[in-house]
Order: sequence, then structure tokens, then C-alpha cells
Amino acid sequence: METRQITVIQAAAVLVSTIIGVGVLALPLFAVRAADSGGPLVTFMAMLLAFVGLSLVTWLGMRFPNETIIHYSERIIGKWLAWIGSLFIIIFFAVLTSLTAREFGEVVVTSVLKSTPVEVTVIVMLLLAAISTRHGITTFAHIHTFYFPFLLVPALVIAALSLKNAEVINLLPIWGNEPGGMLKGTLTIAALFQGAFVLTAVIPSMKHPGKAMKASFWGMLVAGGLYVIIVAATISVFGSEEIKKLLWPTLELAKATSLPANILERMDAAFLAVWVTAVFTTLFSSYFFTIYSMSHLFRLKEHKLFSYFILPFVFVMAMVPQNIIQMYEIIENVGRIGLIITIAYPGLLLIVSILRKKRGNPVADNKNVDQNH
Amino acid sequence: MLTTRMWIKIIRTLCAIMLAVPFLTGCWDRLEIEERAVVLGVSIDKVNMETAEKEEDEISHLRGTIPTPEKGMVRVAVQIALPGRIPLGPGESGGGGGGSVGKTVWVIDVVGHSLDDAIMNLQQQVSSKLFFGHLRVIVISEAVARNGLENINDYFRRNSEVRRMAWMMVAKGQARKLMLAAPPLERVPTLYLMSTLDEGIRMGKFPKDYIGIFWSNVSKKGQEGFLPYVEIKKEENVEIKGLAYFVGDQMVGVTKPLEIAGYLGIKGINPAGYRVFVQLSNPEQTIMTTATHRRSKIKVQIKDGIPHFTIDMGIELNVEGKLSDEIQINNPEVLRMIEEKQTEDAVKSYYKLIKDSQEKGSDYFGFGEIVRAKKPHYWNKRIKTAEEWGKMYRNCTFDIKVTLKVRRIGMKGV
Repeated sequence: METRQITVIQAAAVLVSTIIGVGVLALPLFAVRAADSGGPLVTFMAMLLAFVGLSLVTWLGMRFPNETIIHYSERIIGKWLAWIGSLFIIIFFAVLTSLTAREFGEVVVTSVLKSTPVEVTVIVMLLLAAISTRHGITTFAHIHTFYFPFLLVPALVIAALSLKNAEVINLLPIWGNEPGGMLKGTLTIAALFQGAFVLTAVIPSMKHPGKAMKASFWGMLVAGGLYVIIVAATISVFGSEEIKKLLWPTLELAKATSLPANILERMDAAFLAVWVTAVFTTLFSSYFFTIYSMSHLFRLKEHKLFSYFILPFVFVMAMVPQNIIQMYEIIENVGRIGLIITIAYPGLLLIVSILRKKRGNPVADNKNVDQNH
Repeated sequence: MLTTRMWIKIIRTLCAIMLAVPFLTGCWDRLEIEERAVVLGVSIDKVNMETAEKEEDEISHLRGTIPTPEKGMVRVAVQIALPGRIPLGPGESGGGGGGSVGKTVWVIDVVGHSLDDAIMNLQQQVSSKLFFGHLRVIVISEAVARNGLENINDYFRRNSEVRRMAWMMVAKGQARKLMLAAPPLERVPTLYLMSTLDEGIRMGKFPKDYIGIFWSNVSKKGQEGFLPYVEIKKEENVEIKGLAYFVGDQMVGVTKPLEIAGYLGIKGINPAGYRVFVQLSNPEQTIMTTATHRRSKIKVQIKDGIPHFTIDMGIELNVEGKLSDEIQINNPEVLRMIEEKQTEDAVKSYYKLIKDSQEKGSDYFGFGEIVRAKKPHYWNKRIKTAEEWGKMYRNCTFDIKVTLKVRRIGMKGV
């Protein structure tokens, strides 16, 4: 089996590039719907909520440093209950994968490749993810670490350049004029951070599982910070009322931003190129997590055989939404349900494990120990 | 044995590559550059209903099935770039001599029930696919603007190719004339239109007001939009005649060209670039000054439930010229006189500019946004919507303080 090789930085990179995905395009819209000019605050609160969820997961992972959630849940709440929980996790991540692919397809077909059938874009993306998942978890972490700077730097550059047209007044008052939808908005945006749950699969392969909390802190800070920056930049440039009229405000922001001296008069093409990478890493993570968990659930040594097996299922699910408005409704609903799976369920596991004083075997640090299956 | 295995491996990879190729070429969206009709400019005019109905073919709907819209039909003219005709460098042949419209662009016009309908009718007449990615200028006639821009804004917002950095302007009279005009300065007519405004920004004669900014302003609850108001002159040159200001997406009024300076001053937009006459004691003692730098600070207080704004402005000036030798610009006293006199004039003109906009209920300065941002309690309790702010704006009171400083007098000593 693979040895424990993943470092803290790699784990953080996995988190960041998993979290940053399709969601960035519609993110300012969700934020503004919740609390108009209070969008950055809502995003920040969502980040805190997501961090609470992630730290629960990390804590659990550190208690059971040799196992994934599929295994330790069995030891905590018993085989059958855990089986149901794990099944939900797997189904949820399969749905998440398909929705990510579909949202990607919709953006591409609306803004770039107008005559290419959406099925083709979706299947190409899924195939790409399926092929990449045929490797171990160390390769998984390496791929994420490799793409990490390609996501972060261009997104920051676009946000910084767009500030040329920014007006601070659009960001005031910071709590928004009509903060009625604050709670709902926080949940919707927190749902965009759910990919971070893959950490449960990463911890058992970390070199020092004891430092997992550090990874989740930095991962959340970078990804959440980027989200807040994007929301703040978009609102300060367009104003919250205009954003309500845009389907993908972040893309619109890239469109309104030009490189100095008009080298590129609109950055949407460049931005989409970066964004494709971001979508790929997200898709890759959720796809990988789905099949990795399946292989653990069925006590298999290899997850490879599932990588093509679930492809048709994921693809068909991706084609279920009838139109783009319905798709966003589904995404928001699935996201909120997902919070139960990715925050409440691990929370419950943690409480029970503390009450029942269950704990995994500690790992001898600084040594490469074979992974326990 | 080894060779068979190798063969299998090679064939396997080949198969994989062959499978990937059709996906990677992007053939579905292949569109050669000469097969697309690159639209550089669009103009929209109102047309006479009867003649237009006859002129329109049954393209997007059959005659009589769709009632003509209340706002009337539109005539849309587009400027399409001719591939290969647009000279890229100054030395290239082709553009240098002629430079008239017929050479680099092609202007076609159609009628339709709405903008979208007209574009559809146009596509029926043009062989290549219309491409809006390079659309730089949208000219709208005053009549259309006064009728409302909902449909036009909707079309351009929805179209993913249109840039937010394009210019939209309101033309006095017929908008189509601006499409047909061919000023000799630029080889592509729309680029001339665009550079008129872009240079205007750089010389401090016009605020940044790209279509994206206009849309944002229209959407804001405490602000109305405005667009450049232009008129074509006899040499096919274009004059910026003022700001056409809106309530919602209906144009309600227009300022004078000098009042653009007033707008820029109130907003404190730099660089400054307007020159004004200042008459000291008698008509002979008239001096011209140019503004070089503006600053402005707007504060809001709520007085008796009505917003009161205090605008504190500062403008730096240079003396540009005088009408006669009756006045000597050689001591600080004279400069102080100029400052005083001009401050008086300026304050008066700012009050008038704001008053005009209040009468029309169009807060294109964005005072409402300041209230929304700085006094959220008041806003949430009393105003909340754009309509309410439009009403409240008429009652707002203003206090304008201007500090003018003459700094330099040019190369002449007196």
C-alpha cells in the first residue's frame, strides 16, 4: 500500500483547490441576494461556519489518524448506522460531482462554446476527472499542489486589477441594507466550501496527522480569503443592485477588467481558462472522494475499478436539471442538505466518540508507517 | 512475445488519442474570422410605424400576429467591419488615401419591433454570422432614449459577447447619421466616436461612463444613470453636448456642455480640463481660466427627516488668457479678485445644476447612494426603494462651498 507521504502544505493545497471551483462564478450573486452590500460579511460568516465544520472533521480525523470516516464511523456508532451514513456521504459526493460538471457545462455553453452540445463539455470534463482518479491518494495530493498556484495567482490579479473601477461606497453599510436573508445566504455560501470534506480521506495518508488542523486552518483561510476578496471586489465595482441582475458576476467582473495599457481589453477569456482548471480540481476531488469512499465501504484494496463504473451514473445525474434556473435551485438545495452530511454528521460522530471514549491507534510520527486498511 | 505486447500498447495509446481528437478540436464552434460579420457600432432610431410595418419582412413573426409595441418600432443601423480592409499600421496602403466609410466599414440598416427583432431581421440579410465581441459604440437617438431603454439594455446585458467597456451615447437628432459619418482622423468611423469620449476622459472633459458603469448606476437605488449626449457637426465631427440623464431607463433631461464640468467638480473627478470665462468688473476685464485639479467631499446629515448635503469643493486654476490689456495680471490682488469672482459664478452654476436635476427627479450624482451607505437606518426606515428616493431627492437641501485657487499664469508676466 501507499505510504504516508502527504505534507501539511499539500493537504492545505488540496483543500484550497478543492474549495475553489465552479461556485466562484455565482458566489457574489448568492452573497448579494442575502444582504446586498453586506455580501463580504455574509461570505466571511459562511467561511467561519465552514471552518467550524471542517475543524470537527479534522478533530475526528486526528482521533482516528489511520482510518477514513467510512471506517471509524463504524467503530463509533456501529456498523449499520455507519453504513447508512457512509452511503449518504457517497451519494452526496456523487451528486456534487455531477452538479459541478453540469454547472461547468452550462457556463461554457452560454458564454464560450455556444454550438457545442452541453453533453459533450460535461462528458469531457468527467472523463478527464475519471482518468485522473486512477491513481493513488499521493498522486491526488500532488496534482492539487501543482495546480494550486495557477488558481490563486490569476484570481488575485483579476481582483486587484478590477479595483481600478471600484467604489468604496458600494460596500457600505457593511452589514447590508436589507440583511434579512443573512442566515440563508450564509448556509448557501457555506455549502460552497463543502469540498473540504475530502480531508477525511487525506488525513490517513498524511505524514503527520497531528498537524492536520494546521492544514485545515490554512486551507480555509486561503480559500475563504479569496472568496471574500472576490465578493468584495465584485460588489465594489458593480454595486449590489447590478449584481442581482447578473447570472455570473465574477465572469462579468473579468469582462469589465482590462490589463494595464489595454494589452487585454477584457479578461474573461483568460479568467475562464483559469476557471476550467479550478473546476477540474474540484471535480477531481469530489469524484476521487466518491470512489475512494466506495472502495473503503466495500473493503476493497483498490478504488480504480470504480472510476469508470460510476461515470455513467454521474453523467446521467448531471443531465437531470431541465434548465439553468432549475439547476441553480437544485444546487442551492443540495448544498444546504449537504451541510447536514458534512457538518452535522461528523459533529455527531465526534460527540459520540468522546462520550464512548473511542480513539484510533496513534501514529508513530516522523516514520513512514504503512497505511492501515 | 515482447513485440506483440508492444504493439498492443501502441495501438492502445493510438486508440486513446483517436478518441480524444474529436473532443479537442472544438469543431462545433469553429468560425473563421472572414466568416463572421464583426459589428463595430450600432445605432437605434425610432421609426414611423406605418412605413416600418411595410418595410419589415416576416422573419421573426408573421405580419399581424404580434401587436406593434407601444413604444413604437426601431430602425437599427450597424457598422460592420470589412475583413482585410481595415489598415493595421499607418504605412499600409488602402486606408491612407480614401478613408471614407465605404472602404473600411459597411453600414446597413433594418427595422424591427424591438432591438432583438431588428438584429434578427438583419441577420436574415447578412450572410455571415453577426459578431458583437468588438462592438464599441452604441448610439441611441434622443427619441428612443426618452421612450426608455429597457429592451435595449436587456439585449446587450444578455448577450455574452458585448463588452462592458463599450460606449453608449445619446444622439441629438438621428442616430444613424453617426454610423454613416466618416471623420478623416480615424480610418474606422466608430473608433473616432470612441476616441472622442476616451480622450474626453483623459482631458478631464468627461467622466468615465462606459456602458457597464451606466448599467450599474441605473440599477443602484440611490443613483440614476447618465449617458453622453452627442451631436454630429457639419464636418462629420462629433461634439459632446452634455449629459443625458435618466430616471430609471427613461431619459428625462440633458445638461449643457459646461455643466459637465459642474458634474465633474461636484464628484471631484480628475484630471480637470474645462476653461471658463470670468468677468471681473466690466466686459473688457474678462479673463479665461482653466481648471487643473478638482477635489470634493460630500457629507450628509439628516435635518428634520430630510437629507441635507454639504459639498466642499476645491479647484485649482491657471490663468489662460485675457480679452484686453485693461487688466494687469501682476499682483496677487488681481488673482484674488479672479478667485472671488469665479467662486461666486461657480457656486451659482453648481446650485443650478443640482436644482435642475432635482426638478426632474434624477439623482445622477448618486447623492442617494451616500445616504444609503452612510445613513442606513434612515434609508431603511424612510426610503428603501429607488422610487422613494426619486421623490425624496426633490426635497433635499444642499450647501455648497467652493475654494478656488489660481496657481499659475502661463509664460507671460502681466
